[in-house]
Amino acid sequence: MESLSALALAVASAALGMWAMVVRRNLVWKLLGLNVASGGGILFLVALSHRTGARPPIVGLGPGPAADALPQALVLTAIVIHFATLALALALVIVLTEHRHTQDSRKLEER
Amino acid sequence: MKLLLALGILGLVGILAVGIAGLWPRADFPDPDPVARGWRVTNAVAAIVLGLRLWDTLLEVLVYVVAMVGVRFLLVGLHWKGELPPVSETPLLRRSADLLLGPILVFALYVAASGHLGPGGGFPAGAILGSALLLLALAKGMERVSAELYEPRLESLEYLAVVLLVFLAALVLILGLRTPAAFVTANLLIALEVAIGAWAVLHRFSSARGEV
Repeated sequence: MESLSALALAVASAALGMWAMVVRRNLVWKLLGLNVASGGGILFLVALSHRTGARPPIVGLGPGPAADALPQALVLTAIVIHFATLALALALVIVLTEHRHTQDSRKLEER
Repeated sequence: MKLLLALGILGLVGILAVGIAGLWPRADFPDPDPVARGWRVTNAVAAIVLGLRLWDTLLEVLVYVVAMVGVRFLLVGLHWKGELPPVSETPLLRRSADLLLGPILVFALYVAASGHLGPGGGFPAGAILGSALLLLALAKGMERVSAELYEPRLESLEYLAVVLLVFLAALVLILGLRTPAAFVTANLLIALEVAIGAWAVLHRFSSARGEV
């Protein structure tokens, strides 16, 4: 049942991140919310690939069924892409702040 | 209003999660051991990342490189003009960096080179190498470290790693090469590429905004 609690935690943190993305007006806070939501999604996929008592998907690590290896491999991709896109988004925020002198999304939309 | 919004988002994410998770109770997993044995490695995740789903990994590396090029391009004109804050003078950080840097580098190399046998692989090794560079920059100051690590040369090394990775992937995908040596080489190349990208991000952000 530990995977069930991990699933609940993943859903909660994804919802929290999306809530911060909707409600907060500062761009850096929005990116922080995106970060938390992405962490929730990653945790969700990893928890989905785990069962109680499952062994790691490595040959020769004891008896019993193994955890699913495919979501773990795809999550590896997701983490790296998340890091790269977050760095790019933060660079864009820096450039935007240099040019417009604000990080408020509503003020940025006005002009 | 905000509470309603929060509840609505939670409900939407929950419905999405139930949809992704499928019916309850969930079906049994397939056995990953034949996949790993088919690629002649021990770690099934490595067999999927660098074997079955090599196209995904290749395009992911390309996306990573493009994002790092974007960061370099966006921050190239922004240089911090104010006074740089002084590097912290505590001997603790410098001494611990001297002590820890070698073991961290060796551990990163080990994680990259043994990724096909157990937990590890190129991406975690690259992250470990990047954190070693961050420790170095924190201890010695970004100016000194970036003078030592000449960035254009690192940049061309990163592109060379990507080209070699594409060449290796062509060997695996077209000629059907299935040896552990290909996995070790690919993991080392990915580690190099991820570490140089992480260093580029670190360096550009700190030179646009002062110090680490």
